[in-house]
Order: sequence, then structure tokens, then C-alpha cells
Amino acid sequence: METLTVILRALANVVVVLLLAPLFEGVLRRVTARIQSRQGPPLLQPYYDLLKLLGKEDIESGESPWMQRFAVHLALASVLTVVCLLPLGAPSPLNAAGDMILLIYLLTLAGICTLLAGLAAGSTYSLIGISREMITMMALEPLFAITLVIGALNVNSLRLDQVLDGSVYAGGGFPLSGLIMLAVMLLSFQAFVQRVPFDIAEAETEIMEGPLIEYSGPKLALFKYAQMIKLVIYSSLFVALFIPWGSALVFPFGWLWFWVKVLGLVLLVTVVAATHARYRIDQALNYYGGLLGVAFVALILAGFGY
Amino acid sequence: MTPGQALLTSLIVCLAGAGLTALTACQRRLTGWLAFGITAVASSLALYAAGSSLRLGGVEPETFLKLPALGFALTLHVDGLSAIFIGLIASIALPATFFGIRYMDLYPEYSLRRYHPWLLVFLAAMYGLVSTTDMMWFFFIFWQMMTLPGYALIRFEHHKPENRRAAVKFLVMMQIACVATMIGAELLATNAVPAAGGATLRYDFDSISRGLPGLLEQRPGLVATAFALFLVGFGIKLGMWPFGQVWLPDAHPAAPSPMSALLSGVMLKTGVYGILRYFLWLVPESARDIYPAGAWGAWIAGLGTLTLFTGTLQALRQEQTKRLLAFHSIGQLGYILLGIGTSLLILGHGDPALLPVAAVAFAGALMHTVFHGTFKSLLFLNSGSMLWAARTQNLNQLGGLLRWMPLTGLTALVAAMSISGVPGFNGFLSKWTLYVGAIQGTPAGRLLPVCAVIGILISAVTLASFMKFFGVSFLGQTSRTVTSAAQEGKRLEVDGLMQAPQLVLAAACVLFGLVPGLAFGLVARALLASQAGYAGVLADALGGAGKVPGMPAALGGSAVFLPLAMLAVLLLLAGLAALLTRSGGASRRRATPWLTGYQTAAEPTRYTAHGLYAEFKRRFRWLGGTPGSPVAKDSEPPKTT
Repeated sequence: METLTVILRALANVVVVLLLAPLFEGVLRRVTARIQSRQGPPLLQPYYDLLKLLGKEDIESGESPWMQRFAVHLALASVLTVVCLLPLGAPSPLNAAGDMILLIYLLTLAGICTLLAGLAAGSTYSLIGISREMITMMALEPLFAITLVIGALNVNSLRLDQVLDGSVYAGGGFPLSGLIMLAVMLLSFQAFVQRVPFDIAEAETEIMEGPLIEYSGPKLALFKYAQMIKLVIYSSLFVALFIPWGSALVFPFGWLWFWVKVLGLVLLVTVVAATHARYRIDQALNYYGGLLGVAFVALILAGFGY
Repeated sequence: MTPGQALLTSLIVCLAGAGLTALTACQRRLTGWLAFGITAVASSLALYAAGSSLRLGGVEPETFLKLPALGFALTLHVDGLSAIFIGLIASIALPATFFGIRYMDLYPEYSLRRYHPWLLVFLAAMYGLVSTTDMMWFFFIFWQMMTLPGYALIRFEHHKPENRRAAVKFLVMMQIACVATMIGAELLATNAVPAAGGATLRYDFDSISRGLPGLLEQRPGLVATAFALFLVGFGIKLGMWPFGQVWLPDAHPAAPSPMSALLSGVMLKTGVYGILRYFLWLVPESARDIYPAGAWGAWIAGLGTLTLFTGTLQALRQEQTKRLLAFHSIGQLGYILLGIGTSLLILGHGDPALLPVAAVAFAGALMHTVFHGTFKSLLFLNSGSMLWAARTQNLNQLGGLLRWMPLTGLTALVAAMSISGVPGFNGFLSKWTLYVGAIQGTPAGRLLPVCAVIGILISAVTLASFMKFFGVSFLGQTSRTVTSAAQEGKRLEVDGLMQAPQLVLAAACVLFGLVPGLAFGLVARALLASQAGYAGVLADALGGAGKVPGMPAALGGSAVFLPLAMLAVLLLLAGLAALLTRSGGASRRRATPWLTGYQTAAEPTRYTAHGLYAEFKRRFRWLGGTPGSPVAKDSEPPKTT
């Protein structure tokens, strides 16, 4: 019985995210357009795009096509697996099967798929893209890890149901480490969701979507879908870690309130993205380096109980 | 046959086999098979010894040769800790020697008399080193039996001056390590307060251990000096910062690939064994209050973090397959040290509530020791196959090999995923255990979470490095070197004799990664089968199977990981993704990569390992670790054309 509930809750997570992710993307595109004094596409445009791409011709340019197919399927599968671990307005469904360390590494796995796809495509542009993507991952993964570790230290457990519930402020009041991490994560959030000014790996105007340059048709649809889902994942993680208030409301209200908070974050991402220009990789790396230094200070503070 | 007898027989079989293969060395293929046969017999005996010791829950030391006047005795003790290391040596030696049968054809101009006999002596020495209880005579004998053949094997290709230099470095460093460790032992032995119960062998673990409480009380400084010498000695062996950087990156690439696999996968682990044996097992229960376990733990964890940080970031800069792997050996051994250090820190802290965490950290260290043996030796065999096919270790000259060598590519991907800690492979399981230990152990060491996060950061760097290693050699555009090698009409993929060992090791990586109970069970049995030192405490704390199936009770449900369940979810969702791709009925077509339309792909536009992560690498240039040979951009035509 218990297993069945877990499966159903995980399924609900997957379905909700699959349905909602393109909508958030639609909001993002529409609002961006308005900020830039354009009309913008209809809200449902990302759904149409995905449907159209699924039927388009699939051109494989690499020398190892089975690796390209493998990477594509794994890309969507791994982000959806992460979705099963998240508390999306309800407790995390697969809480008993994985903890926060697994969460960190599963998010890395989603990145690995993009890397493998870019490497397998064999284009010089995609290799430039994956080089930048990996540099970003190396700088960002520890930031995210530090946030989760601070949470884990506060609640003395690595389980997701405890860590992903405002754990950075656990223990009463607002510990200094939690506040520092709130600032750090806000300042690096744009990079986590790979939007301007930190969409350096894709950089459409420069290296033509980098790792995805050689992808078309259903494969591109899957990658795009995975990217939209990543926006939802990181927004939900941010909400779960830093904006936990009101999550205890009864079912429909708590759930709705959660998605309102996620929408708020998406709007924030949109505003920043629409009003900034892209950084170069070296500038971005300096920026991440500074944040990482501050984050390590927060981690040391957390170790000593502040 | 008792475990001790079995192990001694195995040792003798190896030594006799060394003589035999020296005689037949002219018959190259025959000698290869003979060496493998001998290794198979020796490994079965050794595995039997290890297995029966674990099954019996530990055995008494067995003495075979004794000269009490000098304190000279050949005593072999196959306890739980030794059993794990013996098992590791035996199970890596098998695929490595099997790989060597065919692989050694790569060196027709060198006599095999310099290879197989030395390799067998080297194996015998490692069996001896991890089971002898003599801290002086037989430690010296086995250490030299390991070092001198190691020297000979590293300079196997002795026409190349850089290999001769690497071998000399190895020899010198190992002798320093030997002397440091022996001075440490002598300090403890000569100053020991004569224990009641009559004169025994003065260099035996048992007598040193009995003398230790008194010595710790009267002359703590002297004991600290001795232990520092042990840390230096074994640290040199396992490649700890700053010693590892001196010899390790030169030695591993110089040796023939199966030997590199043994050097990195197994030989470095004798250093881990030494640290565990001396720091955790030597200290008797009565000395626990006065032994500064916490301080040593802090030192080892700190040095471990430094080692993993420097080793891996230097590895990122490498452009030679085996040199890259060698730097990663330093990095991965850092994780093991971090685990041992965490465990000691918590043991020294003394809070009984934290003891399970110490056991978890210890389990992580021991598991990483074994797992590193599997995936790193696999990686060396992979790079051996790449060397076999393309005749180069230069990553800049490789590309697109997956099409030509699908099986080697697949196993290399498994190994790369394992070492980068992708969930579902064994490397993740041990790293996960290490992180759980370090994060939960924070009350004992306030900076442990910093070490854990540096571990996570370095794990991403490891991933970057192996995406490079796998990506630029197997994926991407076929390089000119590979094209010309393929044009010679030669089959690039290695034959069955070289594929089989790679497949076996890859299977082990996946199996241990998916079934955590296997490794945790082994660690628990090993602890139960060793009586001395902290083993009992750790065994009690680790407990049996806990709430989560296959996981020890020590984790107490505050950290969970069910690989099989997660794999099932992932596969189901991959199925969903496959359904989505098919749903539109899109047609499929092959094309060449698009390079802005007026240029087609060619050698000069190929993106090579040198360019990857340039911005990141530039920032860590101060760490050193230069890529060995001058960076060859693949504009020069390979020698074969």
C-alpha cells in the first residue's frame, strides 16, 4: 500500500512538472518580450514548439549516433528522476530511496548528458560549449552542495524531507550561515537555470547553442524539455530551501501557494535575464569564485553552529 | 589448509613461477599464458586464504620461521583487514596478467625476461607485505621485494630515458619510505617498556602493541615521532601530498599498462593498509585514552583533503592518458585518507553517539580502496587498449575511437562514470559513504563539512577530467592518427584476450555500485574478523543490516540511498523519453557537422583536449603538475604515415 502511494505521488510529480514546465517557459518568453517592448509569443508557444520538434526530421551528425541517442534519453530521464525526489508542494515521494548527496549527483548526471551529447556531436562549436558548461558545473556544484550541507548540519540528517524544508534556517531564528547562503544562491540563481547573463555555454548569438548545435527534431525537443524542467527544479529547490513558509497549509492551498512562489522566482529570473547582457566565461568564473569564497565562509560558520 | 598456509603457498607459487617464466621467456606467448596460469593458482590460494579468514571470523597468526635472538620471524596473519587487501591484490592481479598475455606483443624489441618474472615477485611481495606481523625484518624484505621489481618494471622500456628517470625516482622515494617506516618501528621497539610475559619477538605487532600504552604514558613525544614517520613512509607509498607528486605521475605512465594497473590499483593500497594497520589497529584498548587519535585524524583528514585537491586539479591539466590517470590516483587516494582521518577524528572525540559515524567513514575509506582498485585498473587497461590501437598516449591525437573500438569504449565509459561518482556505479557508493561520514561527523571536527564540500567540488573536477579523457578519445571527430591507423587495414579494437579482463572489471564496477550490501557486508565481516585495536569498536558501531535493506544500521536512516530503486525509476523515465521521441514519427538522417557552411571538418579545426576547460585550467596553473611531454597539437603527421 505504502509503495503504491509512493509510486502514485512520484507519478503525480512527473506529470505536473511535464505539464507545467513549458508554461513557465511561456511566461518567461512573454514577459521578456514585454520588457523589451515586443509583443511576444502566445503563452502556449513552448508547447507548440515541442510538438512541432517531435515531428521534425532528426539529423545525426556525430560519428557515434548511439551515444547521441543514449545521452538524449538519459537527459530527460535524469531530470525527471530528480523531479521524483522533490517536494513539490507535497512531501518528496522518493524520500526513502535517496538523500541530498544523491540529489547533488543526480543533477550532475543531467549535466553529464548534455556533455556527452555535445562531445558525441563532434562539432567544434559544441565542444566549445561543453567546455564552458563543465567549467560552470565545477563552479556551481559546490555552491549548491554547501547550501544543502548547511541544511543537513542544522537538522542533523541528510534526508530530503528534512533538508528540503527550510533547513537553512532550522534551529530557530535566522542563522548567519543561512542568510549568507540565501544571498549567494540569489546571486548565482541565474547561472543555475542557465539564463542570461550566465547562459555562456549555449550563447546563441555566439556559439549557436553550443552543445545543442547539431541537434534537431525529437532530440532537440527532449533537450529543450529537460532545460525547461531544470528551471522548475531549481526554482522548487530554492523555494523548498529558502522560502518554506506556508508549506503546511491544507492540500490545495499549500500546493497552490508553492507554485505561486515558483512562479515568482521564474519572474525574477525573467526580469534579470531581460535586462542584462551575457558575461564572458572568465568574467563569470571570477564572479563564481567570489561567491564560492563567501559560501565557504558560511559553511565554516555553520560548522561552528552559527 | 589454514589461511596462513594457503597464503604462504601462494607466495611460494609466485616466486617459483618467477623462476619458471624467466627460463621460458624466449617463448613470448607461452610465457604469457604460463604467467597467467601461475597467477591464477596463486590468486585462488590467496582468495581462499582471505575468504576462509573472513568466514571463520579471524584466525590466529601463524609462524613459519623463527630466529628469536634477532627478533626475526616469518609470521603471517590473515585477519579481516589483511583479507580485504589480499582479496583486492588477487582479484586485480588476475585481469591484469590476463590482459598482459596479448598486450606484451606491443614490445617486440624488449625481452619478456624483464617483465613476467618481476611481476610475479612483485605480487608475492604484496601478499607478504599485507599479512606479515613483523614491523622490521619481513617488512623490509617484502618492501624490497616489491620495490626492486617495481623499479625493473617501470624501466621496462629502458631505451627511453624518461622511463629510466621515472624508475630511479620511484626507487629513491620507496627507499626513503622504507627507512622512515623502519626508524619508526625501531623507535617503538627499543624504547618499549618491557612487557610482562617474557621476551617475545620485539618487532612483532603484538609486542609493540603491548608496549605502546606504557610508552605513550612516559614518552608521548617519541611515539608521536614514530607515528609521524609512519605517516610519511606510507604517505610516500600511497602518493600523499606532497610526496605523491614527486614519483607517481612519472612512474605510472612509464610502466607497461597491465603493470600501471597493478601499480595504481593495488600497490598504492599497501600504503593505505599501512596507515590503517598502524594508526587504527596497533593501538590497544588500554591505550585508547592516551592515544591522540583525534589529532592524528585531523592531520590525516587535512592531508587527505590537500591531496585530493592538488592531485585532481593537476590531473585536469594533463594531456597524456596514463599521466592523467596517475594524477587521478593521487586525487582518489586523497578521498581514502579523508575517510580514515574522519574515522580517527571521531574515535578520538570519544562521543559514543558518534561511533556509528566513525564506522561509516571507515567503511567509506575501505570501500573506496577496493573500488578504486577496480575502476582505476580498468582505466589503465583501457588506456593500454588505446595505446595498442592508436600507438599514442597523447589525448590531443585521439578522437572518434568509439566507432572503431565499441567495447573498449563502453568499458571506458563505465570506468569514467565510476571514478566521477555517477550514481549507480561503485565510485558513487564509496564517495557517498565518505561524505555521509564527514558531514555527520561535524561535532568531532568542525571543519569536516568543508572537507566534504571540497570532496564534492573535486568530484566535479574529476568528472570534467574524465569527460575529457573519454570524450576526446572516444567521441568527437576521428583524428588523423586514428584514421591512418585504421587505413593500415588493421582492426583497431583489441581482441578477446584483452577485452575479457576489461569486461570483468566493468561488471564489477556496476555490480558493487548497484548492490551496496555486498561492499558493506565485506567491510563488516572484515571488522569482525580482526580483533586488535579499534576494529572491535568499529565492528560494534557498524552493526548488521539496518532499516534500509543492504545498508548498515550505523546509517540509522538519516542518510538513504537505494541504487536499484533509483535505477528502476530512471529506466522507466528513459522509456518515457523514448516514447516521446517516437511519438512524432520523425524520420532520421545522417549528416556531417555544420561548420558555418564554408568549411568542412578537418584536422586543424578539430577541438582537442588541450583547449578544453582552458579558462579553468589557467587559474590553477600555480598548482603545478605540468603535462609531461611537450604539448603536441596534432598538426604533425603521425609516424606511421
